[in-house]
Amino acid sequence: MRRRTLSVAAWLTVIAGLIVLGPSASLQQRNDANSVKGGVGDITGEYQIPDPNWPQWAHPYAKPGYIWGSQGGVFAESPDRVYLANRGELKLPDKVPPNFPGNWGFFNQMAATQPIANMVNCLVVVDRDGKLIEAWNQWDKLFEWGRGPHQVYISPYDPERYVWVVDDMRHVIYRFTHDGKQLVQTLGVLDEFGENDDLTHFRRPTMIDWLPDGTFFVADGYGNTRVVKFDKTGKALLKWGSRGTGPGQFNTPHGIAVGGSPPRVFVSDRGNRRIQVFDTNGKFLEEWPGIAPHSMLMSADEHVWAVDSLTDRIVKFDLSGHVEFSFGQFGTRPGYTWAPHQITADSDGNLYLSEVFGGRTQKYRPKPNADPTKLVWGRSLMPAGNARTN
Amino acid sequence: MTFKRVTLLIVALAVIVSTAWAQAKPDFSGTWKLSATTPPNYPGSAGWGVPSPTLVVKQTPMEVTIQAGQYGPNPMSVVYKLDGSDNIWEAPSMTQSGTSATVKWRTKARWDGNKLILFTWNTALNQMRDVMTISNGALTIQRGTEQPGPSTNALLTYTKGS
Repeated sequence: MRRRTLSVAAWLTVIAGLIVLGPSASLQQRNDANSVKGGVGDITGEYQIPDPNWPQWAHPYAKPGYIWGSQGGVFAESPDRVYLANRGELKLPDKVPPNFPGNWGFFNQMAATQPIANMVNCLVVVDRDGKLIEAWNQWDKLFEWGRGPHQVYISPYDPERYVWVVDDMRHVIYRFTHDGKQLVQTLGVLDEFGENDDLTHFRRPTMIDWLPDGTFFVADGYGNTRVVKFDKTGKALLKWGSRGTGPGQFNTPHGIAVGGSPPRVFVSDRGNRRIQVFDTNGKFLEEWPGIAPHSMLMSADEHVWAVDSLTDRIVKFDLSGHVEFSFGQFGTRPGYTWAPHQITADSDGNLYLSEVFGGRTQKYRPKPNADPTKLVWGRSLMPAGNARTN
Repeated sequence: MTFKRVTLLIVALAVIVSTAWAQAKPDFSGTWKLSATTPPNYPGSAGWGVPSPTLVVKQTPMEVTIQAGQYGPNPMSVVYKLDGSDNIWEAPSMTQSGTSATVKWRTKARWDGNKLILFTWNTALNQMRDVMTISNGALTIQRGTEQPGPSTNALLTYTKGS
Protein backbone atom coordinates (compact mmCIF):
# COMPACT_ATOMS: atom_id res chain seq x y z
CA MET A 1 0.00 0.00 0.00
CA ARG A 2 2.80 2.32 0.96
CA ARG A 3 4.60 1.34 -2.23
CA ARG A 4 1.53 2.16 -4.32
CA THR A 5 1.13 5.56 -2.60
CA LEU A 6 4.73 6.45 -3.40
CA SER A 7 4.30 5.34 -6.96
CA VAL A 8 1.24 7.55 -7.49
CA ALA A 9 3.03 10.49 -5.93
CA ALA A 10 6.00 9.93 -8.16
CA TRP A 11 3.83 9.85 -11.27
CA LEU A 12 2.04 13.06 -10.22
CA THR A 13 5.41 14.75 -9.80
CA VAL A 14 6.57 13.62 -13.23
CA ILE A 15 3.36 14.78 -14.92
CA ALA A 16 3.51 18.16 -13.16
CA GLY A 17 7.12 18.53 -14.19
CA LEU A 18 6.34 17.78 -17.80
CA ILE A 19 3.51 20.35 -17.83
CA VAL A 20 5.66 23.08 -16.26
CA LEU A 21 8.97 22.31 -17.95
CA GLY A 22 7.78 20.74 -21.18
CA PRO A 23 8.63 23.52 -23.63
CA SER A 24 11.99 24.31 -22.09
CA ALA A 25 12.88 20.63 -21.76
CA SER A 26 12.10 20.18 -25.42
CA LEU A 27 14.24 23.20 -26.29
CA GLN A 28 17.05 21.80 -24.17
CA GLN A 29 16.91 18.56 -26.14
CA ARG A 30 17.24 20.42 -29.42
CA ASN A 31 20.15 22.40 -28.06
CA ASP A 32 21.84 19.18 -27.00
CA ALA A 33 21.41 17.77 -30.47
CA ASN A 34 23.14 20.79 -31.94
CA SER A 35 26.00 20.81 -29.49
CA VAL A 36 26.81 17.18 -28.96
CA LYS A 37 29.80 16.37 -26.78
CA GLY A 38 32.62 13.89 -27.19
CA GLY A 39 32.79 10.40 -25.78
CA VAL A 40 30.63 7.33 -25.82
CA GLY A 41 27.12 8.02 -27.05
CA ASP A 42 28.31 10.92 -29.10
CA ILE A 43 26.33 11.37 -32.32
CA THR A 44 28.53 13.53 -34.51
CA GLY A 45 31.75 13.79 -32.52
CA GLU A 46 33.74 16.88 -33.38
CA TYR A 47 31.52 17.59 -36.35
CA GLN A 48 28.45 19.76 -36.76
CA ILE A 49 25.05 18.30 -37.59
CA PRO A 50 25.13 17.86 -41.40
CA ASP A 51 22.99 19.97 -43.69
CA PRO A 52 20.24 17.58 -44.86
CA ASN A 53 20.09 19.42 -48.17
CA TRP A 54 23.66 18.54 -49.09
CA PRO A 55 24.36 17.75 -51.86
CA GLN A 56 22.30 20.31 -53.67
CA TRP A 57 22.48 18.06 -56.72
CA ALA A 58 20.05 15.60 -55.11
CA HIS A 59 17.81 18.02 -53.19
CA PRO A 60 15.41 18.09 -54.83
CA TYR A 61 16.18 15.20 -57.13
CA ALA A 62 16.03 16.28 -60.74
CA LYS A 63 13.53 13.67 -61.86
CA PRO A 64 10.12 14.36 -60.29
CA GLY A 65 8.71 11.41 -58.39
CA TYR A 66 12.12 9.84 -57.95
CA ILE A 67 14.95 10.02 -55.46
CA TRP A 68 18.54 8.87 -55.34
CA GLY A 69 18.81 5.50 -53.66
CA SER A 70 21.51 3.52 -51.93
CA GLN A 71 24.81 5.39 -51.69
CA GLY A 72 27.58 2.87 -52.06
CA GLY A 73 30.53 5.21 -52.05
CA VAL A 74 31.96 8.67 -51.66
CA PHE A 75 35.49 9.91 -52.22
CA ALA A 76 36.70 13.44 -51.55
CA GLU A 77 39.54 14.30 -53.87
CA SER A 78 39.35 17.85 -52.52
CA PRO A 79 36.68 20.02 -50.88
CA ASP A 80 35.60 21.02 -54.38
CA ARG A 81 35.71 17.65 -56.07
CA VAL A 82 33.73 14.93 -54.34
CA TYR A 83 32.81 11.70 -56.16
CA LEU A 84 29.49 10.08 -55.30
CA ALA A 85 28.76 6.45 -56.20
CA ASN A 86 25.00 5.91 -56.39
CA ARG A 87 23.36 2.54 -56.68
CA GLY A 88 20.48 3.79 -58.79
CA GLU A 89 17.48 6.03 -58.41
CA LEU A 90 14.21 4.88 -56.85
CA LYS A 91 10.60 5.74 -57.52
CA LEU A 92 8.98 7.51 -54.61
CA PRO A 93 5.65 6.29 -53.25
CA ASP A 94 2.63 8.00 -54.76
CA LYS A 95 1.96 9.78 -51.48
CA VAL A 96 4.96 11.26 -49.71
CA PRO A 97 4.46 12.67 -46.20
CA PRO A 98 5.01 16.42 -45.86
CA ASN A 99 7.85 15.81 -43.39
CA PHE A 100 9.76 13.60 -45.84
CA PRO A 101 13.40 14.69 -45.44
CA GLY A 102 14.54 13.54 -48.85
CA ASN A 103 16.34 10.27 -48.14
CA TRP A 104 15.07 6.75 -48.66
CA GLY A 105 15.90 5.65 -45.13
CA PHE A 106 12.89 7.66 -43.95
CA PHE A 107 10.63 4.92 -45.33
CA ASN A 108 12.29 2.32 -43.09
CA GLN A 109 12.64 -0.22 -45.90
CA MET A 110 16.24 -1.20 -45.31
CA ALA A 111 18.31 -1.53 -48.51
CA ALA A 112 17.69 1.53 -50.62
CA THR A 113 17.74 -0.53 -53.78
CA GLN A 114 14.17 -1.78 -53.70
CA PRO A 115 11.93 -2.67 -55.25
CA ILE A 116 13.84 -1.79 -58.45
CA ALA A 117 16.68 0.70 -58.78
CA ASN A 118 17.15 2.41 -62.14
CA MET A 119 20.85 2.61 -62.83
CA VAL A 120 21.19 6.27 -63.76
CA ASN A 121 23.44 8.95 -62.28
CA CYS A 122 25.60 6.19 -60.85
CA LEU A 123 28.75 8.32 -60.80
CA VAL A 124 28.61 12.06 -60.23
CA VAL A 125 31.08 14.68 -59.03
CA VAL A 126 29.98 17.61 -56.85
CA ASP A 127 31.62 20.64 -55.30
CA ARG A 128 31.67 21.79 -51.66
CA ASP A 129 28.06 22.89 -51.85
CA GLY A 130 27.03 19.69 -53.51
CA LYS A 131 26.47 21.36 -56.87
CA LEU A 132 26.94 19.05 -59.81
CA ILE A 133 30.28 19.33 -61.60
CA GLU A 134 30.19 16.17 -63.70
CA ALA A 135 27.72 13.34 -64.27
CA TRP A 136 29.34 10.28 -65.79
CA ASN A 137 26.11 9.06 -67.33
CA GLN A 138 28.03 7.53 -70.20
CA TRP A 139 28.98 4.73 -67.81
CA ASP A 140 25.56 4.06 -66.28
CA LYS A 141 25.12 1.11 -68.63
CA LEU A 142 28.02 -0.66 -66.92
CA PHE A 143 25.91 -1.05 -63.81
CA GLU A 144 22.59 -2.02 -65.39
CA TRP A 145 22.67 -5.71 -64.49
CA GLY A 146 24.26 -5.36 -61.10
CA ARG A 147 23.44 -3.19 -58.13
CA GLY A 148 25.53 -0.18 -59.04
CA PRO A 149 28.96 0.97 -57.94
CA HIS A 150 30.05 -0.44 -54.62
CA GLN A 151 32.74 2.12 -53.76
CA VAL A 152 34.91 4.76 -55.48
CA TYR A 153 38.54 5.86 -54.90
CA ILE A 154 41.62 7.62 -56.12
CA SER A 155 44.93 6.20 -54.97
CA PRO A 156 46.63 8.78 -52.78
CA TYR A 157 49.90 7.88 -54.47
CA ASP A 158 48.79 8.31 -58.09
CA PRO A 159 49.80 11.63 -59.69
CA GLU A 160 47.54 10.85 -62.64
CA ARG A 161 44.55 10.49 -60.34
CA TYR A 162 42.79 7.67 -62.06
CA VAL A 163 39.37 6.95 -60.59
CA TRP A 164 38.71 3.39 -59.45
CA VAL A 165 35.20 1.99 -59.12
CA VAL A 166 34.37 -1.41 -57.65
CA ASP A 167 31.29 -3.23 -58.96
CA ASP A 168 30.74 -6.20 -56.69
CA MET A 169 27.72 -7.76 -58.36
CA ARG A 170 29.32 -7.78 -61.81
CA HIS A 171 32.65 -9.01 -60.41
CA VAL A 172 34.85 -6.24 -61.82
CA ILE A 173 36.90 -3.18 -60.86
CA TYR A 174 37.08 -0.28 -63.30
CA ARG A 175 39.79 2.35 -63.68
CA PHE A 176 38.73 5.56 -65.38
CA THR A 177 40.61 8.66 -66.42
CA HIS A 178 40.29 11.51 -63.97
CA ASP A 179 37.60 13.21 -66.03
CA GLY A 180 35.71 9.97 -66.52
CA LYS A 181 35.82 10.16 -70.29
CA GLN A 182 37.77 6.97 -70.77
CA LEU A 183 37.65 3.54 -69.19
CA VAL A 184 41.28 2.51 -69.26
CA GLN A 185 41.30 -0.79 -67.37
CA THR A 186 38.93 -3.48 -66.18
CA LEU A 187 40.13 -5.97 -63.59
CA GLY A 188 38.23 -9.25 -63.50
CA VAL A 189 35.78 -10.41 -66.15
CA LEU A 190 32.39 -8.78 -66.48
CA ASP A 191 29.61 -11.04 -65.20
CA GLU A 192 31.94 -13.99 -64.71
CA PHE A 193 33.17 -15.03 -61.32
CA GLY A 194 35.97 -17.40 -60.42
CA GLU A 195 36.83 -19.61 -57.53
CA ASN A 196 39.01 -18.75 -54.56
CA ASP A 197 42.28 -19.84 -56.22
CA ASP A 198 41.59 -18.09 -59.53
CA LEU A 199 43.61 -14.87 -59.86
CA THR A 200 41.95 -13.80 -63.10
CA HIS A 201 38.41 -13.49 -61.74
CA PHE A 202 36.86 -11.86 -58.72
CA ARG A 203 33.72 -12.93 -56.96
CA ARG A 204 31.99 -9.90 -55.49
CA PRO A 205 34.98 -7.62 -54.75
CA THR A 206 34.32 -4.83 -52.28
CA MET A 207 37.20 -2.46 -51.57
CA ILE A 208 40.75 -1.42 -52.55
CA ASP A 209 43.72 0.25 -50.85
CA TRP A 210 47.25 1.06 -51.98
CA LEU A 211 50.88 1.10 -50.93
CA PRO A 212 52.97 4.12 -51.94
CA ASP A 213 54.62 2.15 -54.78
CA GLY A 214 51.26 1.49 -56.43
CA THR A 215 50.86 -2.07 -55.17
CA PHE A 216 47.25 -2.53 -54.22
CA PHE A 217 45.06 -4.94 -52.31
CA VAL A 218 41.48 -5.94 -53.05
CA ALA A 219 39.02 -7.34 -50.55
CA ASP A 220 37.25 -10.05 -52.58
CA GLY A 221 34.72 -10.10 -50.92
CA TYR A 222 31.20 -11.57 -50.63
CA GLY A 223 32.04 -14.62 -52.74
CA ASN A 224 35.70 -15.53 -52.72
CA THR A 225 36.39 -14.44 -49.12
CA ARG A 226 40.02 -13.57 -49.74
CA VAL A 227 42.44 -10.71 -50.30
CA VAL A 228 44.22 -10.35 -53.65
CA LYS A 229 47.47 -8.42 -54.00
CA PHE A 230 48.25 -6.69 -57.32
CA ASP A 231 51.26 -4.87 -58.65
CA LYS A 232 50.85 -1.30 -59.86
CA THR A 233 49.95 -2.43 -63.39
CA GLY A 234 47.06 -4.57 -62.19
CA LYS A 235 48.84 -7.90 -62.41
CA ALA A 236 47.64 -10.24 -59.68
CA LEU A 237 50.55 -11.39 -57.53
CA LEU A 238 49.05 -13.54 -54.82
CA LYS A 239 45.99 -14.14 -52.72
CA TRP A 240 45.27 -15.21 -49.19
CA GLY A 241 42.26 -16.27 -47.18
CA SER A 242 39.36 -18.65 -47.53
CA ARG A 243 35.91 -19.02 -46.03
CA GLY A 244 35.99 -19.79 -42.33
CA THR A 245 36.43 -18.39 -38.87
CA GLY A 246 40.06 -19.14 -38.08
CA PRO A 247 43.06 -16.84 -38.31
CA GLY A 248 43.46 -15.75 -41.91
CA GLN A 249 40.01 -16.96 -42.86
CA PHE A 250 37.13 -14.68 -43.68
CA ASN A 251 33.38 -14.31 -43.83
CA THR A 252 32.80 -11.38 -46.17
CA PRO A 253 36.02 -9.40 -46.06
CA HIS A 254 34.39 -6.09 -46.88
CA GLY A 255 36.84 -3.32 -46.02
CA ILE A 256 40.59 -2.95 -46.36
CA ALA A 257 43.16 -0.37 -45.31
CA VAL A 258 46.91 -0.37 -45.80
CA GLY A 259 49.52 1.53 -43.83
CA GLY A 260 51.99 1.60 -40.98
CA SER A 261 55.69 0.94 -40.82
CA PRO A 262 56.40 -1.72 -41.85
CA PRO A 263 53.19 -1.63 -43.88
CA ARG A 264 50.35 -3.85 -42.79
CA VAL A 265 47.04 -4.82 -44.36
CA PHE A 266 43.99 -4.31 -42.15
CA VAL A 267 41.00 -6.31 -43.32
CA SER A 268 37.45 -5.89 -42.13
CA ASP A 269 36.22 -9.46 -41.70
CA ARG A 270 32.65 -8.25 -41.46
CA GLY A 271 30.82 -11.56 -41.15
CA ASN A 272 33.19 -12.73 -38.42
CA ARG A 273 32.90 -9.39 -36.60
CA ARG A 274 36.59 -8.59 -36.42
CA ILE A 275 39.45 -6.79 -38.09
CA GLN A 276 42.37 -9.00 -39.08
CA VAL A 277 45.87 -7.66 -39.56
CA PHE A 278 48.40 -9.11 -42.03
CA ASP A 279 51.76 -8.28 -43.46
CA THR A 280 51.79 -7.37 -47.13
CA ASN A 281 52.27 -10.98 -48.18
CA GLY A 282 49.31 -12.24 -46.23
CA LYS A 283 51.00 -13.47 -43.06
CA PHE A 284 48.46 -13.28 -40.24
CA LEU A 285 49.60 -11.01 -37.41
CA GLU A 286 46.64 -10.39 -35.11
CA GLU A 287 42.91 -9.79 -34.88
CA TRP A 288 40.82 -7.07 -33.29
CA PRO A 289 37.47 -8.60 -32.30
CA GLY A 290 34.16 -6.93 -31.65
CA ILE A 291 33.68 -4.76 -34.71
CA ALA A 292 32.28 -5.53 -38.15
CA PRO A 293 33.18 -2.63 -40.40
CA HIS A 294 31.55 -1.98 -43.74
CA SER A 295 34.55 0.10 -44.66
CA MET A 296 37.82 1.45 -43.33
CA LEU A 297 40.15 4.35 -43.99
CA MET A 298 43.86 4.77 -43.31
CA SER A 299 44.14 8.36 -42.14
CA ALA A 300 46.93 10.83 -42.72
CA ASP A 301 47.94 10.45 -39.06
CA GLU A 302 48.24 6.67 -39.53
CA HIS A 303 45.15 5.50 -37.76
CA VAL A 304 42.47 3.14 -38.96
CA TRP A 305 38.99 4.65 -39.00
CA ALA A 306 36.33 1.96 -39.24
CA VAL A 307 32.59 2.33 -39.83
CA ASP A 308 30.90 -0.40 -37.84
CA SER A 309 27.95 -2.23 -39.37
CA LEU A 310 26.78 -3.43 -35.94
CA THR A 311 26.51 -0.10 -34.15
CA ASP A 312 26.82 2.52 -36.88
CA ARG A 313 29.73 3.97 -34.91
CA ILE A 314 32.76 5.57 -36.48
CA VAL A 315 35.75 4.22 -34.57
CA LYS A 316 39.33 5.47 -34.51
CA PHE A 317 41.95 2.78 -33.85
CA ASP A 318 45.67 3.18 -33.47
CA LEU A 319 47.63 0.64 -35.47
CA SER A 320 47.85 -1.65 -32.44
CA GLY A 321 44.10 -1.96 -32.27
CA HIS A 322 43.43 0.39 -29.35
CA VAL A 323 40.25 2.43 -29.66
CA GLU A 324 41.06 6.09 -29.26
CA PHE A 325 37.71 7.68 -30.06
CA SER A 326 34.32 6.91 -31.50
CA PHE A 327 31.09 8.61 -32.37
CA GLY A 328 27.93 7.97 -34.35
CA GLN A 329 24.61 6.27 -33.89
CA PHE A 330 22.00 4.52 -35.97
CA GLY A 331 19.20 6.70 -37.28
CA THR A 332 17.80 8.58 -40.23
CA ARG A 333 17.81 12.11 -38.86
CA PRO A 334 20.65 14.40 -39.91
CA GLY A 335 23.91 13.31 -38.33
CA TYR A 336 22.77 9.79 -37.60
CA THR A 337 23.58 7.02 -40.08
CA TRP A 338 22.09 3.83 -41.41
CA ALA A 339 24.78 1.52 -42.73
CA PRO A 340 27.63 3.94 -43.47
CA HIS A 341 29.39 2.21 -46.34
CA GLN A 342 32.36 4.38 -47.33
CA ILE A 343 34.25 6.99 -45.31
CA THR A 344 36.38 9.77 -46.75
CA ALA A 345 37.67 13.16 -45.68
CA ASP A 346 38.96 16.21 -47.53
CA SER A 347 41.86 18.52 -46.80
CA ASP A 348 39.61 21.00 -44.97
CA GLY A 349 38.71 18.34 -42.43
CA ASN A 350 35.24 17.67 -43.76
CA LEU A 351 34.06 14.11 -43.31
CA TYR A 352 31.75 12.31 -45.77
CA LEU A 353 29.80 9.13 -45.12
CA SER A 354 27.76 7.32 -47.75
CA GLU A 355 24.88 5.24 -46.45
CA VAL A 356 23.60 2.18 -48.27
CA PHE A 357 20.43 1.77 -46.23
CA GLY A 358 19.90 5.41 -45.26
CA GLY A 359 20.06 6.27 -48.95
CA ARG A 360 22.11 9.43 -48.60
CA THR A 361 25.61 10.81 -48.33
CA GLN A 362 26.20 13.25 -45.50
CA LYS A 363 28.88 15.90 -45.28
CA TYR A 364 30.07 16.61 -41.74
CA ARG A 365 31.84 19.93 -41.24
CA PRO A 366 34.13 20.27 -38.19
CA LYS A 367 32.83 22.27 -35.27
CA PRO A 368 34.63 25.51 -34.53
CA ASN A 369 37.63 24.71 -32.33
CA ALA A 370 37.23 20.99 -32.96
CA ASP A 371 39.90 18.76 -31.47
CA PRO A 372 41.95 17.84 -34.55
CA THR A 373 42.88 14.47 -33.07
CA LYS A 374 39.20 13.54 -33.21
CA LEU A 375 38.72 14.50 -36.85
CA VAL A 376 39.24 12.18 -39.78
CA TRP A 377 42.10 13.32 -41.99
CA GLY A 378 42.33 11.63 -45.35
CA ARG A 379 45.77 10.91 -46.79
CA SER A 380 47.03 13.74 -48.96
CA LEU A 381 46.85 13.00 -52.66
CA MET A 382 49.84 13.37 -54.95
CA PRO A 383 49.82 16.70 -56.81
CA ALA A 384 47.49 16.45 -59.76
CA GLY A 385 49.66 18.12 -62.38
CA ASN A 386 49.68 14.98 -64.46
CA ALA A 387 46.06 14.01 -63.96
CA ARG A 388 45.04 11.91 -66.94
CA THR A 389 42.17 13.13 -69.02
CA ASN A 390 41.01 11.91 -72.34
CA MET B 1 26.51 -25.93 -113.41
CA THR B 2 29.84 -25.97 -111.67
CA PHE B 3 28.77 -23.04 -109.54
CA LYS B 4 25.61 -24.87 -108.45
CA ARG B 5 27.63 -27.94 -107.53
CA VAL B 6 30.06 -25.94 -105.45
CA THR B 7 27.19 -24.18 -103.68
CA LEU B 8 25.47 -27.46 -102.95
CA LEU B 9 28.71 -28.89 -101.65
CA ILE B 10 29.24 -25.95 -99.30
CA VAL B 11 25.68 -26.19 -97.98
CA ALA B 12 26.04 -29.93 -97.45
CA LEU B 13 29.31 -29.49 -95.62
CA ALA B 14 27.79 -26.80 -93.39
CA VAL B 15 24.88 -29.06 -92.49
CA ILE B 16 27.19 -31.98 -91.77
CA VAL B 17 29.52 -29.90 -89.63
CA SER B 18 26.74 -28.24 -87.65
CA THR B 19 24.97 -31.55 -87.15
CA ALA B 20 28.16 -33.18 -86.01
CA TRP B 21 28.85 -30.30 -83.63
CA ALA B 22 25.36 -30.49 -82.24
CA GLN B 23 25.66 -34.22 -81.79
CA ALA B 24 28.92 -33.80 -79.97
CA LYS B 25 27.25 -31.71 -77.32
CA PRO B 26 25.28 -33.38 -74.56
CA ASP B 27 21.52 -33.23 -74.78
CA PHE B 28 20.00 -32.14 -71.50
CA SER B 29 16.42 -32.61 -72.68
CA GLY B 30 14.02 -34.40 -70.43
CA THR B 31 12.28 -34.28 -67.14
CA TRP B 32 14.66 -34.37 -64.22
CA LYS B 33 13.96 -35.06 -60.56
CA LEU B 34 16.13 -33.67 -57.79
CA SER B 35 17.86 -36.50 -55.98
CA ALA B 36 20.54 -34.82 -53.83
CA THR B 37 22.13 -31.51 -52.93
CA THR B 38 25.51 -30.62 -51.47
CA PRO B 39 25.32 -29.13 -48.91
CA PRO B 40 22.37 -31.26 -47.83
CA ASN B 41 19.02 -29.50 -48.04
CA TYR B 42 20.63 -26.53 -49.77
CA PRO B 43 18.03 -23.79 -49.38
CA GLY B 44 19.08 -21.43 -52.13
CA SER B 45 19.44 -17.79 -51.17
CA ALA B 46 16.43 -15.94 -49.79
CA GLY B 47 13.99 -17.54 -52.19
CA TRP B 48 16.36 -17.38 -55.14
CA GLY B 49 18.11 -20.33 -56.72
CA VAL B 50 16.09 -22.73 -54.60
CA PRO B 51 16.60 -26.15 -56.22
CA SER B 52 13.51 -27.03 -58.15
CA PRO B 53 12.20 -30.54 -57.38
CA THR B 54 11.59 -30.99 -61.08
CA LEU B 55 13.30 -29.52 -64.12
CA VAL B 56 11.81 -29.80 -67.58
CA VAL B 57 14.52 -29.14 -70.14
CA LYS B 58 14.02 -28.75 -73.89
CA GLN B 59 17.10 -28.40 -76.05
CA THR B 60 17.52 -27.52 -79.72
CA PRO B 61 20.71 -26.54 -81.54
CA MET B 62 19.71 -22.91 -81.00
CA GLU B 63 18.45 -22.77 -77.43
CA VAL B 64 17.73 -24.48 -74.15
CA THR B 65 14.46 -23.93 -72.34
CA ILE B 66 14.17 -24.74 -68.65
CA GLN B 67 10.88 -24.87 -66.83
CA ALA B 68 11.46 -24.82 -63.10
CA GLY B 69 10.69 -23.15 -59.78
CA GLN B 70 14.28 -22.06 -59.23
CA TYR B 71 13.71 -18.55 -60.56
CA GLY B 72 11.54 -17.48 -57.65
CA PRO B 73 8.42 -18.62 -55.86
CA ASN B 74 6.53 -19.46 -59.04
CA PRO B 75 7.59 -21.82 -61.85
CA MET B 76 8.92 -20.02 -64.90
CA SER B 77 9.93 -21.14 -68.35
CA VAL B 78 13.26 -19.54 -69.21
CA VAL B 79 15.09 -19.59 -72.54
CA TYR B 80 18.88 -19.61 -72.90
CA LYS B 81 20.20 -18.94 -76.41
CA LEU B 82 23.11 -21.13 -77.38
CA ASP B 83 24.70 -18.67 -79.80
CA GLY B 84 26.09 -16.63 -76.90
CA SER B 85 23.64 -13.77 -77.29
CA ASP B 86 21.53 -12.27 -74.54
CA ASN B 87 17.88 -13.08 -74.06
CA ILE B 88 16.14 -10.17 -72.33
CA TRP B 89 12.53 -9.85 -71.28
CA GLU B 90 10.32 -8.41 -68.57
CA ALA B 91 8.07 -10.27 -66.15
CA PRO B 92 6.29 -9.66 -62.86
CA SER B 93 8.62 -11.07 -60.26
CA MET B 94 9.34 -11.04 -56.56
CA THR B 95 11.78 -8.37 -55.37
CA GLN B 96 14.15 -8.39 -52.42
CA SER B 97 11.59 -6.53 -50.34
CA GLY B 98 9.05 -9.29 -50.90
CA THR B 99 6.82 -7.23 -53.15
CA SER B 100 6.05 -8.00 -56.76
CA ALA B 101 7.23 -5.66 -59.49
CA THR B 102 7.94 -5.74 -63.19
CA VAL B 103 11.50 -6.95 -63.38
CA LYS B 104 13.89 -7.14 -66.32
CA TRP B 105 15.45 -10.55 -66.87
CA ARG B 106 18.51 -11.53 -68.85
CA THR B 107 19.95 -14.93 -69.68
CA LYS B 108 23.02 -16.07 -71.52
CA ALA B 109 24.64 -19.45 -72.20
CA ARG B 110 27.90 -20.84 -73.46
CA TRP B 111 29.54 -24.20 -73.87
CA ASP B 112 32.74 -25.11 -72.08
CA GLY B 113 33.56 -28.47 -73.63
CA ASN B 114 30.72 -30.74 -72.60
CA LYS B 115 29.61 -28.39 -69.86
CA LEU B 116 26.77 -26.00 -70.50
CA ILE B 117 27.06 -22.81 -68.50
CA LEU B 118 23.85 -20.87 -67.93
CA PHE B 119 23.77 -17.32 -66.60
CA THR B 120 20.63 -15.69 -65.21
CA TRP B 121 20.25 -12.11 -64.00
CA ASN B 122 17.35 -9.93 -63.04
CA THR B 123 17.02 -6.36 -61.90
CA ALA B 124 15.69 -7.44 -58.52
CA LEU B 125 19.37 -8.09 -57.66
CA ASN B 126 19.34 -11.82 -58.31
CA GLN B 127 22.03 -13.67 -60.21
CA MET B 128 22.66 -17.34 -60.80
CA ARG B 129 25.26 -19.39 -62.66
CA ASP B 130 24.56 -23.04 -63.36
CA VAL B 131 27.25 -25.31 -64.79
CA MET B 132 25.44 -28.34 -66.17
CA THR B 133 26.95 -31.71 -66.98
CA ILE B 134 25.60 -35.17 -67.67
CA SER B 135 27.39 -38.24 -66.43
CA ASN B 136 26.10 -41.79 -66.11
CA GLY B 137 22.58 -40.64 -66.77
CA ALA B 138 22.61 -38.09 -63.99
CA LEU B 139 22.41 -34.34 -64.46
CA THR B 140 24.63 -32.37 -62.12
CA ILE B 141 24.40 -28.62 -61.68
CA GLN B 142 27.13 -26.63 -59.97
CA ARG B 143 25.17 -23.60 -58.82
CA GLY B 144 26.43 -20.23 -57.68
CA THR B 145 24.03 -17.51 -56.59
CA GLU B 146 24.54 -13.84 -55.95
CA GLN B 147 22.29 -11.53 -53.99
CA PRO B 148 23.08 -8.49 -51.85
CA GLY B 149 24.45 -10.76 -49.09
CA PRO B 150 27.15 -13.42 -49.31
CA SER B 151 27.38 -15.68 -52.34
CA THR B 152 26.20 -19.28 -52.12
CA ASN B 153 27.44 -22.49 -53.79
CA ALA B 154 25.77 -25.85 -54.19
CA LEU B 155 26.02 -29.05 -56.18
CA LEU B 156 22.63 -30.35 -57.32
CA THR B 157 22.09 -33.84 -58.67
CA TYR B 158 19.09 -34.78 -60.81
CA THR B 159 18.02 -38.12 -62.22
CA LYS B 160 15.72 -38.77 -65.12
CA GLY B 161 12.09 -38.85 -64.12
CA SER B 162 8.72 -38.60 -65.76
